[in-house]
Amino acid sequence: MNASPDTLPLLRVTQAVKQFVLRRTLGDRVARRPGVLHTAVDHVSFELGSGEVLGLAGGSGSGKTTLARMLIRLVEPDDGQIMFGDSDVRAASGHALREIRRQMQMVFQDPYSSLNPRMRIGAAIFEAGKVHHQPGVDDEAAFVARVLDLVRLPASAARRFPQELSGGQRQRVAIARALAVGPKVLIADEAVSALDVSIQTQLLNLFLDLRDELGLSIIFVAHQLSVIAEVADRVAIMHEGKIVEIGPTAEVFHRPQHDYTRSLLAAHPSHTAPTPRGGSV
Amino acid sequence: MSDTFTTTSRTTRFRFRIRNWELSLGVAMLGIIVIAGLFAPLLAPYPPNQIDILHSLQAPSFSHLMGTDFVGRDVFSRVLYGVRIDVFVVALITYAGLVIGVIIGTVAGYFGGWLDAIIGRVTDTVVSFPFIVLVLAVVAIVGPGLKGVAIGIVLVGWALYSRLARSEMLAMREQPFMLATRALGYSTPRAIFRHALPNLVRSSLVYSTVDVVVNMLVLAGMSYLGLGQQAPGADLGSIIASGQGYLLTAWWITTIPGTVLVLFGIGVSMIGDGLTRGELSMATV
Repeated sequence: MNASPDTLPLLRVTQAVKQFVLRRTLGDRVARRPGVLHTAVDHVSFELGSGEVLGLAGGSGSGKTTLARMLIRLVEPDDGQIMFGDSDVRAASGHALREIRRQMQMVFQDPYSSLNPRMRIGAAIFEAGKVHHQPGVDDEAAFVARVLDLVRLPASAARRFPQELSGGQRQRVAIARALAVGPKVLIADEAVSALDVSIQTQLLNLFLDLRDELGLSIIFVAHQLSVIAEVADRVAIMHEGKIVEIGPTAEVFHRPQHDYTRSLLAAHPSHTAPTPRGGSV
Repeated sequence: MSDTFTTTSRTTRFRFRIRNWELSLGVAMLGIIVIAGLFAPLLAPYPPNQIDILHSLQAPSFSHLMGTDFVGRDVFSRVLYGVRIDVFVVALITYAGLVIGVIIGTVAGYFGGWLDAIIGRVTDTVVSFPFIVLVLAVVAIVGPGLKGVAIGIVLVGWALYSRLARSEMLAMREQPFMLATRALGYSTPRAIFRHALPNLVRSSLVYSTVDVVVNMLVLAGMSYLGLGQQAPGADLGSIIASGQGYLLTAWWITTIPGTVLVLFGIGVSMIGDGLTRGELSMATV
């Protein structure tokens, strides 16, 4: 393992597979054939260490989002094994699954639709904490203020509705809501892709701060290599459902081994060329 | 660190109120009718069923604002009591249908699969059934009276709300904030009733303004046919029916309750238009 220091794998994905049915005719049903399948995630394996930021890069349709959603069973895996600590994610149900989901939280791409438009920010954050009986929920105002402070928003934001906030602020709220349940892993699914560049940088710094302050592990899904370069300790490059290359960010970006990685890097305009921060921390 | 913190909501809501004259006018019209019905016992100058043969078929005057009918009952008092019972029954049946339909449709849309298929076929059946015929069938079973008509209307009325809510739920199910309720480990009832329902109920509320008018007309129509409100009870439909034979000599008995019915319909429709327009301007302002 060439991950960050003092790691024992928190999350271990082995040979995960997800296939979607593209077309299934009546004949297929009668003959009990699966129909025409598309393999979105094709025997993918990786590990995530504690406190590690793993970048997941690849083009559109490469299976990044499907893989990310499989980790908390928003998409049901068809095969393979996903171990979170010593619990089997695929076998979990009911309370065990809710506990796994509590510990692995997701931040979605579009901050305009990931928050309930009819709920005030404070209510949304408090609800998450209350449902999972997080410490400090006896005092709603204090709990919300503390969580908002983690994402550098003022306590006064609690009274706002999502549509009163900017995209960057909303994404902070989405992160805050995820943090309110006390997760160990944050899955950021294209979490900064919908935002403009200056706000992207602020949010990337926020993710790194949260990693340091809370000891979070982060899986950072993005199609922009420049974004991955800024945050990830290690990067996995996905192409057509497979991880074609995985390793420390600097190594992968400076000495790409796979043709697809090279073409991805070459496709990047030079002025935003990925410049990984100092090696693998 | 944090990007600038601004708010725009106050001005948005302010404009929403001021610009919406349709909504205001509709609320005013409906308000007057509803209040008149609500306070009928205080406002009515005569008991609604008090017969006074000596003063039958009198034209509107200061002692009888809307004249009297063929047995000398005060039409104004009867209209007040009629509005009272009609508005109450219509509101009850329309919103009973809305609540039942929205819940069923939302659940069908959320779970999908065989549950959705079954509910979908049931709604199709109900919607394709001739409305009036079904109401008549229920009246035949329960017996003439407002109760039978009300049950009949609710039995049919929920289906369109169910369709509406289901289609909205299908779209909403894929919204990230609904995915987030699963990611956050929220229970299914919490996801459906706390997160989905408040966001899809608006279209049903707007549609209910059309439905209220339709139901009001069906209710009055049934009473007119003698299947709803039974004599001597007053309701807009039965008052109109009672004056039918005197249309040429005593126009006020049918025309005035008819006008109240029309004003009720216009008022509710304007509220509906105002709500729709309000939604648009809220989205674009």
